[in-house]
Amino acid sequence: MSNSLKQALDLSLFWEYRAILLQGLVVNALVFLCAALLALSAGLGAALLRVNRFFPTRLIGTLHVELFRNAPDYIMLVWVHFVLPLLIGIMIKRRVEFHPFVSAVIALGLVYSGYFAETFRAGIEAIPRGNLDAARGFGMSERLILWRIMLPQVVRRMLPEALNQFVSLFKATTIVSLIAVPDLMYAVSMVTQQEMRPLPLYTGAALTYFLIILIFATGVRAFSERWRRKILE
Amino acid sequence: MGNWERLVWNQRDALIAGFTVTVEVCVIAFLAAIVGGLVLCLVRLYVAPLRPIAIVLIEFFRDTPIFVQLMWVSYVWPELFGFPSSFFSAGWIALGLQSSGYLAETFRTGIEGVPRGQREAAFSAGMSPAQTFSRIVMPQVVLATAPSIVNQFTVIVKSSTLVSVITVPDLMSQSQRLVNIWYEPIEILTTTAAIYILFVFLVSTAGKLLSDYLRRRYGLAAYF
Repeated sequence: MSNSLKQALDLSLFWEYRAILLQGLVVNALVFLCAALLALSAGLGAALLRVNRFFPTRLIGTLHVELFRNAPDYIMLVWVHFVLPLLIGIMIKRRVEFHPFVSAVIALGLVYSGYFAETFRAGIEAIPRGNLDAARGFGMSERLILWRIMLPQVVRRMLPEALNQFVSLFKATTIVSLIAVPDLMYAVSMVTQQEMRPLPLYTGAALTYFLIILIFATGVRAFSERWRRKILE
Repeated sequence: MGNWERLVWNQRDALIAGFTVTVEVCVIAFLAAIVGGLVLCLVRLYVAPLRPIAIVLIEFFRDTPIFVQLMWVSYVWPELFGFPSSFFSAGWIALGLQSSGYLAETFRTGIEGVPRGQREAAFSAGMSPAQTFSRIVMPQVVLATAPSIVNQFTVIVKSSTLVSVITVPDLMSQSQRLVNIWYEPIEILTTTAAIYILFVFLVSTAGKLLSDYLRRRYGLAAYF
């Protein structure tokens, strides 16, 4: 027990491989950034569909949200990586394969677009109706209304919640190693197979992610607190 | 449709067996998370000397990705603490740990939401602290937090797909086994995804109905 505890806390092995592990962490960050961009844009699209007056559009938006918000990340990852290329291949009658990185970004981006869509929708619905009527009365185009009237207010109101979702998205990027995207967890499992010492390696990985997310999440919490007070004034 | 019959319908026993394991893991993890979350929350609020430990544990469980925790529990814990002895228990322990961190914070907000005056009134009516807690505070906490407790179950179900990685024979791992037999993933993986989405949808809809009911019946705002 004390021996293994010493081993677990002796992170020198983890430090020895820092170059490979750091590269893995960079891959995590890249997946996170690309997926976040996709999630934001698809989420905004779905939210706009949901607040549309036209019923079929609303239905599509609702389906998008319910589908992706209720889907586990991992099954989506596997589905996008193994099924989606085949379906596209059948449609265009050519063999298609996704690079694991691409699958990871698409899957995580789609899943989190469901969450972002709800955030955006709540923000859009909180905008006083008079604002939009006034903008239309001035003769602003719908696109201009979106950029100048709606989005600034949505962003202001929804920033804290959106930041929390970014934290969850970053946590979710750890599973991309399962389709062989070379992220930190992938590097850890490779090194573990070589060294046969999972104790320090997995403990090191857990601590690394914990520290990054703790700093990130604590920052978000402090920021949201101040932001809310500022907005309420 | 022949493919669907051959790959999905004829394999329904395996899928049902997998789904049963998924439900088992999730329910055990959920119960463990409620107990663990309550203990962490009470220690954090009322046991001053252990408060820092409780805070560190809660933060660690909440801020470590579930996949990392799962690997950590299943490969590090056996050497470190001598248990869990099976991957099944490693699975529910990891899922339970993550949710106990979240639930501890939910319970804390619930307990802090009960007005102080009620506790003082109970005290002057001659109730002991234990009585006050079980008869005045807890019923309100349970009502107010019920929707987010149900929501936590959906989080567990979603995360439970990962226990297939440590060879627990859940729905995810059964469907991947079937895919590896025929290398025809379209039907099986789509069905599996649909089952998970439907299951999570049903649980979260039940949660929404529950919170509406509680709000109407007891006039309590679900404040999370």
